[in-house]
Amino acid sequence: MEAKLKELEERRGRITAGGGPKRVAAQHDKGKMTARERIEAFLDPGTFVEIDAFVEHRATDLGMADVDAPGEGVVIGYGTVEGRLVYLFAQDFTVIGGSLGEMHAAKICKAMDMAMKVGCPIIGINDSGGARIQEGVDALFGYGNIFYRNTLASGVIPQISVIMGPCAGGAVYSPALTDFTVMVDKTSNMFITGPQVIKAVTGEDVSAEALGGARVHSEVSGCSSLMFDDEAATIAGVRALISYLPSNNIEDVPLVATSDELTRSCPALVDIIPDSPNKPYDIRDVIQQVFDDGAYYEIQPLYAKNIVTCFARLGGRTVGVVANQPKVLAGVLDINASDKASGFIRFCDSFNIPLVTFSDTAGYLPGVGQEHGGIIRHGAKLLYAYSEATVPKLTVIVRKAYGGAYIAMCSRHLGADQVFAWPSAEIAVMGPEGAANIIFKKDIEEAADPTAMRKEKIEEYKHNFANPYKAAARGYVDDVIDPAETRARLASALTMLLGKRETRPAKKHGNTPL
Amino acid sequence: MVKKYRVTVNGQSYDVGVEEIGTAGSAAPQMVAAPAPAAQTPAAAPAASAAAPAASGGAATVKAPMPGTVLSLKVAAGQAVRRGDVLLILEAMKMENEITSPSDGVVAAIRVQSGSTVNTGDPMVDLS
Repeated sequence: MEAKLKELEERRGRITAGGGPKRVAAQHDKGKMTARERIEAFLDPGTFVEIDAFVEHRATDLGMADVDAPGEGVVIGYGTVEGRLVYLFAQDFTVIGGSLGEMHAAKICKAMDMAMKVGCPIIGINDSGGARIQEGVDALFGYGNIFYRNTLASGVIPQISVIMGPCAGGAVYSPALTDFTVMVDKTSNMFITGPQVIKAVTGEDVSAEALGGARVHSEVSGCSSLMFDDEAATIAGVRALISYLPSNNIEDVPLVATSDELTRSCPALVDIIPDSPNKPYDIRDVIQQVFDDGAYYEIQPLYAKNIVTCFARLGGRTVGVVANQPKVLAGVLDINASDKASGFIRFCDSFNIPLVTFSDTAGYLPGVGQEHGGIIRHGAKLLYAYSEATVPKLTVIVRKAYGGAYIAMCSRHLGADQVFAWPSAEIAVMGPEGAANIIFKKDIEEAADPTAMRKEKIEEYKHNFANPYKAAARGYVDDVIDPAETRARLASALTMLLGKRETRPAKKHGNTPL
Repeated sequence: MVKKYRVTVNGQSYDVGVEEIGTAGSAAPQMVAAPAPAAQTPAAAPAASAAAPAASGGAATVKAPMPGTVLSLKVAAGQAVRRGDVLLILEAMKMENEITSPSDGVVAAIRVQSGSTVNTGDPMVDLS
């Protein structure tokens, strides 16, 4: 038995050594950890349990018969984050470039299947050169199996992709199918076709970083949910993200102890909103005042900054916050903002995370670019996502809520459970200038002084209609509240809605606009 | 060779000199291209002369993020700015939007003035 134990130890030692000291050193030189180091850093100390360490490839073509790939280039297993179970896999770049073959994929699929079975999040750490070409169609079979499982797991368990190296070609579709894609600045990239292919086909010269680096995907393409400066910060960031999420779609959101009183008054809110409705302010200052301990966790903070999407807590329970950002692009709704917010709303609804919406937008962004870019169908995503959501939906109309944008920002008409308006709210079919020009066209034209008459009529409209009371008179707004009471009222409404049950007509699935 | 144009923006007339400084040998197409933007987008016209030297330096240009009217300028040409500094106020969508500098640098040229109407993508400030 002793000899056999020794053999086990030796075999395991060879596998845990990965690609060997030279390749490990090369990985470290790039500012990157190895797959095992990442897992150790990510999980609570000592909780990692590896499975499938002894899996080997069975490829024989193109010289693969003689290739030894310790652990098949991917480490899988489970452990805990703040005591909560997660499954994870980490591709090992030191073993034939972390390339994906049949058995490599089979290991990833096993981790996903187990996570689905037990109902816990799956975290995938990507660092791979792509498909293992020598394995031919078996590598494609592997990718396909992963994509299929990503789709089955969608809305069942949270799926988080962490990109810590190259992720190219078909490999990028797994992160794209998951809930969150997290990238590391300067050491990670994602693209369907790399710089060489682009150079060959279109003649464009572009670096991997400029083509698909963390910053580009965070600011321009929107393919990245979050980016961090280095691997340690990324790991800490993903752990923090997990703290907000339930483990699966039948679990309630986690409850975190807080000493922040539910009934705490927020007197500072009154001063955040400028007196002039034309002055911008940072909506995040409002969010910070309202939620527990001033904390919030922004998703896609660098993309479509005219809308803010973040997780926060109210009474220790996670909520998803969607808020127009008047500080950027006047807080208008445009293609990217609609896309960003609707994805976030659908995630929250999938995982029982109540939604809190702060509305202050002048409307949809006018322009040929927006219309030709399909703002109609992209904007429709927002209406669809809010209407489809059955989690508790709370809305606070802070200031401007005009026309279609009023409806889109989780109005009563899309199923909001409680709508509060601040006295500064302007809820109307359109802005006073535009409305006065149309309604009082004749009065203005026939007046002795059309300019003065126009101004008078605008003021008249503003006074009579650009307020929260017309909507409150119809019951579209449940109450007009002092901003200082916002936290207390939201908390009370959330508690009241804990038992909310809302069903939808039976269907296979809806046809969300895409 | 400097061509002179008179451009009217919001009722104000500007005499603009457009000088061709492009690569030698491609005179004909440049001649055609240069007057075109001046005629189509008045806001860009005063810039034509100022922008030409700046462009050769590979400078960053701050473009209008949405259609609107320039309410006020907060910087002057030649001024050093830091990332996040307010360059100008653009009134658009019923909001006085602060247009901030995307990076540290120096204001090479201001292509708009108070009252200019801009469309999405119109260049407003050149940074170097």
